[in-house]
Amino acid sequence: MSVSATLSDEIYLQVVTFLYREAYLLDHWKLEEWLSLLTEDACYLMPVRITEEGIGSGGFLPGLYHFEENKSSLTLRIKRLQTQFAWGENPPPRTRRFIGGVLVHRGDRDHELEVTSSLLFLRSRGDSPDLGILSAERQDILRLTPEGLRLARRLILLDHTVPSLESLFIL
Amino acid sequence: MAARTRSGLRLSDGTPLKELVRVEEGRIAARVFTDPEIYQLELERIFLRCWLAVAHESEIPHPGDYVTRRMGEDPVIVVRDRAGQIHVLLNSCTHRGAEICRASRGNTREFVCPYHGYRFHLDGELASAPAHEWAYDQRFDRKAFTLHRARVGTYGGLIFATWDASAPPLEEYLGDMRWYLDLLLRRTAGGVEVVGAPHRWIIEANWKTGADNFIGDGLHTFMTHRYAIELGVLPNDPLIGWFGWHISIGRGHGVAMVGAPERIPLPPYLGLPQELWPLLERALTDVQRRVLERTATIHGTVFPNLSLLNTTTITTEEGVPRVPFLTLRVWIPLGPHRMEILSWFLVEKEGPEWYKEASRKNYERTFGLTGTFEEDDADIWVSLTRANRGAFARKYHVFNYEMGLHRQPRPKAEWPGPGDAYWGDYCEANQRTFWAQWRHLMAEDGG
Ligand code: FES
Ligand SMILES: [Fe+2]
Repeated sequence: MSVSATLSDEIYLQVVTFLYREAYLLDHWKLEEWLSLLTEDACYLMPVRITEEGIGSGGFLPGLYHFEENKSSLTLRIKRLQTQFAWGENPPPRTRRFIGGVLVHRGDRDHELEVTSSLLFLRSRGDSPDLGILSAERQDILRLTPEGLRLARRLILLDHTVPSLESLFIL
Repeated sequence: MAARTRSGLRLSDGTPLKELVRVEEGRIAARVFTDPEIYQLELERIFLRCWLAVAHESEIPHPGDYVTRRMGEDPVIVVRDRAGQIHVLLNSCTHRGAEICRASRGNTREFVCPYHGYRFHLDGELASAPAHEWAYDQRFDRKAFTLHRARVGTYGGLIFATWDASAPPLEEYLGDMRWYLDLLLRRTAGGVEVVGAPHRWIIEANWKTGADNFIGDGLHTFMTHRYAIELGVLPNDPLIGWFGWHISIGRGHGVAMVGAPERIPLPPYLGLPQELWPLLERALTDVQRRVLERTATIHGTVFPNLSLLNTTTITTEEGVPRVPFLTLRVWIPLGPHRMEILSWFLVEKEGPEWYKEASRKNYERTFGLTGTFEEDDADIWVSLTRANRGAFARKYHVFNYEMGLHRQPRPKAEWPGPGDAYWGDYCEANQRTFWAQWRHLMAEDGG
């Protein structure tokens, strides 16, 4: 793929396929393969959101994150699951990631794309009939590399301020 | 209906509440964690009477700043008025009870009720009601409709409130726990500050599961957080949580100061950066400084639902120096089987930037909604709540709180801090202290 690609149906298709594939890997616990889709300098952020007054207020206060991760810390999170002692993830919950509203823009750097998408995350744990639910907007930077698209940065803007969920090791 | 008799409070099935909490024998009935009737009594007998932590001063530094919190299930506004004084107000209008503040944080000059427009000053007094000369026939007594105000006290920047006019002053309520709170909140002249907004999330577990764990459960680390041992994040030694002091303060408070055996080197002062050492040495007494020097982890609970953790033992990224983090959290009851966890990350104001960042990341990755340690704990507390809701468990299941029952507190020469200090954090003396206070408020004391 040419590095200075113009936005085209072809690129849009590649981006959407990348996002679907990534969600598939996470939902199927192919976590190392998922990690390989991240650039070495990737960052993965989910700031804490609060309820504020005023239309247009995003409710993001600088300072604290739910996720403030890089590839090394994400690797440790994933290694944790392989110990069989991550009680929240074993027995493994069933997860389903729905992705929609994908918008693709050319990034600041010409080998990068800015991708916005919506995520609906459902999780079924144990024998409980209740689903854990999160919804979020994702603002990603995807980098065009010789191996294909790679995730260089993910900013997750959670819709919840007080999620009803025991825990979350990755979204 | 629960009834009061000679032998204290009886539940509606005739069980004396006292019999469920036999701390002297190290036995606590499962029922206290899941019974809806007991839960309703807790809201009145504990949450209407105790001093409850609601915020930290650094969250509302300027006049007009507010956050909304809960005391028990009751929503409150914690606000700083123009003179700098802090008020804790029931977030319910004195006219018809609409919520007058609908954000979780902000800055305002006054609170205006969205229902009919009562306007309240920041100290809770009613400033005006619309068209009151006509609406109330010129008989409107503004002063009678102040928002409900809780008593407010602060310690080390932490803001507490109580609904009980006859409660002892906060300082007395905290008692000797202050000595240990100083080690966390006042170890440098500037103290600590909250970073950003707290983590908040809801789990299907009884609020006491968290309080009971943080107050003294040194034993669970090796099993609950086993992953960390498998990955070498924590040392593989079944005594990792043992080497320390388990200190019962009384009034339901407890704390543990965990170090390591002599053969294991520890960074001084929980690994706080060297830049802070001279500040510590100035702010702390010599005794406090010495005990902090050989400490790696401090955990504890201030009765009923404020817990604390300061630890340096965990790494979350290879090649990054170990730095401690400090979290305070409240276990907010939302029903017998449900709580909100509100967890603050705090750091020394005077700390260097690199340390603040490393400490924050360490906290975020191990505690809070997405924290790996928190996930281990939360999952088990949910399961504990789930497994003890059935009729059999409620009636017959009794938990073992015997650990350290026959151990004696050590003399002052061995532990110079206040409280009854037991050697070894594999002990349930603190938990028994918590439950003794719980029993006192629930079953024995007037109220
Ligand atoms: S309920 Fe607030 S003004 Fe009527
Ligand atoms: Fe734990």
